[in-house]
Amino acid sequence: MAQGPTIYQRRIVIGAVLCVAAFALVGVRLVDVTLFRHGQAAVAGAGDGLFARADIVDRNGELLARDLPVVDLYVRPHALYDKDEAAHGLAALTGADYTKLKFAFDHAKSPYVLVARQLTPDVQEKVMRLGLPGLEFEPNTKRYYPDGRATAQLLGVTDPDGNGQSGLEGGLDVQLRTAPTIPVQISVDMRVQYILANEVEAARKTFRALSAGGVVMDVNTGEILAMVSVPDFDPNYRHLTGDDSDHNIMAADRYELGSVFKVLSFALAMEDHTTTPDEVFPIGNGLKIGKFIIHEAEHMPATYTAREVLAHSSNIGTAQIALRSGGVRQRQFLDSMGVLHILHTELSEFARPLYPAAANWGTIETATIGFGHGISVAPLSYIAAAAIVVNGGRRVTPTFLRHTADGRGEQVLKPATSLQMRELLRYVVTNGTGRKADIAGYDVGGKTGSAEKPIPNGHGYQPHVLVTSFLGVFPIDDPRYIVFVLLDTPHGTKETGGIALAGSTAAPLAGRVISRIAPILGVPRKPNVPGHENT
Amino acid sequence: MVRVFNTLCVALMGLSILALYHVSEKTRVASVELSNVNAEIAREQASMSVLETEWERVAGPAKIQALAQSDLGLTGAPTAQLSSFEALPRRGDEAPLSDTPIRQANVQVPAPRPTTPGL
Repeated sequence: MAQGPTIYQRRIVIGAVLCVAAFALVGVRLVDVTLFRHGQAAVAGAGDGLFARADIVDRNGELLARDLPVVDLYVRPHALYDKDEAAHGLAALTGADYTKLKFAFDHAKSPYVLVARQLTPDVQEKVMRLGLPGLEFEPNTKRYYPDGRATAQLLGVTDPDGNGQSGLEGGLDVQLRTAPTIPVQISVDMRVQYILANEVEAARKTFRALSAGGVVMDVNTGEILAMVSVPDFDPNYRHLTGDDSDHNIMAADRYELGSVFKVLSFALAMEDHTTTPDEVFPIGNGLKIGKFIIHEAEHMPATYTAREVLAHSSNIGTAQIALRSGGVRQRQFLDSMGVLHILHTELSEFARPLYPAAANWGTIETATIGFGHGISVAPLSYIAAAAIVVNGGRRVTPTFLRHTADGRGEQVLKPATSLQMRELLRYVVTNGTGRKADIAGYDVGGKTGSAEKPIPNGHGYQPHVLVTSFLGVFPIDDPRYIVFVLLDTPHGTKETGGIALAGSTAAPLAGRVISRIAPILGVPRKPNVPGHENT
Repeated sequence: MVRVFNTLCVALMGLSILALYHVSEKTRVASVELSNVNAEIAREQASMSVLETEWERVAGPAKIQALAQSDLGLTGAPTAQLSSFEALPRRGDEAPLSDTPIRQANVQVPAPRPTTPGL
């Protein structure tokens, strides 16, 4: 009779099974680690979590903003032998306030006292050389902008905790934080941005303007290649000094832009065929509408053709053209062009346009809005509308993100209207107020604007206190770029004969910008296009 | 037979324990080395990041323009000096720009820098 396994034999078998299971488990784990998880540990950790925000680079990959490693300095006051000497030394090296440091060291309620944030490695080394006990360096990052003031208003800044506060840092905050290792490429071309900043700042100084700004935009893709607003500030120090300003006038302010608005009035007239470029209009000494009389900024002849009305910027002629369309149609047209809406872009700044309510949009309002008074819009919003006028009549939304595809959408104007407007804008530059923007080799079209500034918190306008601007388009036969510049309260110079109108201030500024950026942007130079040389 | 098998199993288990301990120790040492290398990579990346940023600053348009003006006497090229590759003449062709009217061209030759007398 066969006997079953004894208790000892059973225990041995169970032990053997457990051993085999344990070895099998180890084997499986080995295979898993060596074959399936190979390299994961090495990848993780190397540089991960170093920076909180992604780099910002321009359309050519040039670095515009980056997080740099810095440290926050804390001190354990109880470890200090001589608190007064420590406060002196640390205040001198870090820029902290001595009195506050001394008080904090003497009356510390927590074990650590924050001395300074975002110390650079060289300052950290100097602090280390003090040989003080109780120093703690907490790793942190600081946003650094290599191009400083040239991109300050555009890029904006972050707060000490790395949150975007203004400009693209604010508007693209989520994108910059979500994938900190992937650079965000914006539409700006740093070469163009610098030239615009350089010329706008020079013009502001020459004409002693309160502020000035400029924008370069691709009319087909909607990409903003440059945006400048001065006065500006140093984004790497974040302290406003002198006449520094962190206010971007091109996006956050609204202006009565004056005669550059005539471009929209003429576009409406050409679209609706309410006039032709060769129709003659009486100009005279004034146009009486109700109790108001519309005057010209300077003496003009008795009659002008519509083409000359735009070229010489006649308010009386433009008012007559605007009145033919009527207030309802004018409002509907401006609405379709987008100037009656807030323009939202990737910037955190925007401005709400100011214009009369529909019930108050009467005859005089129709006439004055025709030549750019009685309506205030952000310059960027106006530029978007002007782009529709010259790009074949299709809506395009300004963007600060790089995309080379055609960004034109809905057809707002007939292509024929756009063509007619381009011819008129070229005529303004060759025969009208925009002559100083006519540069050799490039056929530029454009329109000047000189608007008297409204009296703050009051009615009426300040005589001879102007906002001058120029809308430049090139090459006008197949427009690619808009250059818009604006000077707030410019003053005439000896060279301009004391005249501060746009034709003497903004137009030459735009001409200089175009002559410098056109070769960079690859716009072919036409040898047989005469004009002024850039000086 | 069972006794021999058991002995072999126990011996194998002992060897395995030793081998696993060895692997475990090597892994620990490798892990420490990996951490050091990762830290070194992070430091190098940070240094590269700083250097790249510094390069962008010193090679920025503002610096280049200032240096070109102060050291080379260069100013912005008048547009009359600019052309495109398409406008270049082919070999044997007449120069296409020969009859181009140039109005108000003001190409300026920078004045030579003063030399120190006696040197």
